[in-house]
Amino acid sequence: MDQPLIELEHVGVAFSAQRRVGSGKFWALEDVSLSLRQGERLGIIGRNGAGKSTLLRVIAGILAPDRGRMRRGTLSCQLLSLSVGFTPYLSGRDNAILSGLMIGLRQRDIVARLPAIKAFSELGDFFEQPIATYSSGMLMRLGFSVAIQAEPDVLLIDEVLSVGDAEFQEKSGSALRERMRQGHTVVLVSHDETQVSTLCDRLLWVEHGKSVCEGNRDEVFAAYHHGLAVSTAAS
Amino acid sequence: MHQHLIELIRFSTYAELRAERERSYLGLIWWVAEPAMMMGAFWLVFDLILKTGGPDYVPFLLVGLTLWQWMKSCITHGGYSIWGNLGLIRQVRIPVLVFPLVQIFADTIKFLYIFALLLVILWLAGFPPNITYLALPVVFVVTLLFSAGGGFLMSAVIPLIPDLRFVIEQILTMVMFLSGVVFALDAVPPPLRDWFALNPVVTLLDATRGILMHGQWPDWIALLKVTLVSLVILAIGVGVVLRLAPRYPKLAA
Repeated sequence: MDQPLIELEHVGVAFSAQRRVGSGKFWALEDVSLSLRQGERLGIIGRNGAGKSTLLRVIAGILAPDRGRMRRGTLSCQLLSLSVGFTPYLSGRDNAILSGLMIGLRQRDIVARLPAIKAFSELGDFFEQPIATYSSGMLMRLGFSVAIQAEPDVLLIDEVLSVGDAEFQEKSGSALRERMRQGHTVVLVSHDETQVSTLCDRLLWVEHGKSVCEGNRDEVFAAYHHGLAVSTAAS
Repeated sequence: MHQHLIELIRFSTYAELRAERERSYLGLIWWVAEPAMMMGAFWLVFDLILKTGGPDYVPFLLVGLTLWQWMKSCITHGGYSIWGNLGLIRQVRIPVLVFPLVQIFADTIKFLYIFALLLVILWLAGFPPNITYLALPVVFVVTLLFSAGGGFLMSAVIPLIPDLRFVIEQILTMVMFLSGVVFALDAVPPPLRDWFALNPVVTLLDATRGILMHGQWPDWIALLKVTLVSLVILAIGVGVVLRLAPRYPKLAA
């Protein structure tokens, strides 16, 4: 409980600016530090292009830091992403299994959950049809129904709290909030401040690839709003 | 973790083959029709028009093209696999070696089906099964090692230099002609022939044709050399993939 699950110290990630030999680098993340403990729900806030999504991919283990240090135990972190690995000519069922495997589930676990996935996605008989025949709404419903099955030690969420039409938005949003309430460790990136403030207890504010402050939700929100007001007044 | 990866590779291979079947109108028929049409073209040019085919040209061509098709598919499909999955690589944490492996397995399963059909055709054409068939698994394992090595190596580099895709098809076509797939290397002048014999594809094709058509045991020394070369290529290929793996999630698809 006391030992952080994940710790980042002055982490930076550089991308090459163009697909050319010898082209310059740009640092999407420059200097970010954070620590995440068991059961915490950490929100990451900041403006567009601040590096929030890149940071999430570093925590997920997809991107390796180019500088700084990251410490994490042997735990699974999964970025909640919709329709991972979906293949157009396969049935909804096969795609659900494929996608489930890609997000780290064992085959027997996904197969056991197929009835639940089918029911949640409301696809009915279409579940056995190739997903090339699906409407975009059906595709999103299937994608979400599979994605929500992931059971990592740390769940990482990037602004996909609800998808589909109004009714399914409600359903998917509440399913996800339910997951977050079950005591999982969660890192959430969102622009929606009310969402962040209802779902997270700690916040990290990221600006221009640097962590500005990390701590209690209300304190960080206050500092963030103050900072926004100052920068708006200055410009 | 280990078990999970095996499940992932197995199901992805199934998915790949299944999707290929569903993708076209005639589905699996293309597995056979495509090489058959290619064979028809070569037969027309080299045997019927140029009369350079020689005796037993059709079975010679059939064996050569079937084996070459397998090698080429592993190299190209394996080669494009990481590049083609960059979108996925940016979303989830999966060991990138999975992608070429899946393609190579799928192409190998496909080859085994086509090969079964080839055997039936050869038997009907008067080339019965013989004791040297026992050496076939060895030849095929070496062929797989060689093709997988090429596939891994290509898969490592193509994401960084996608333009290679335009070159590789041409190079492979050239290799095909230089490897005695469509004409016997006996037609090549002697001093050049020694150089041609250094080509691993030539050794593999000779061994397979010897077994299937003449009941000849493979040249074990030559096969051993090809095995060593293949293992080196494979080690380099896997090494480069692992070395470059951290860079792939940063590439634009």
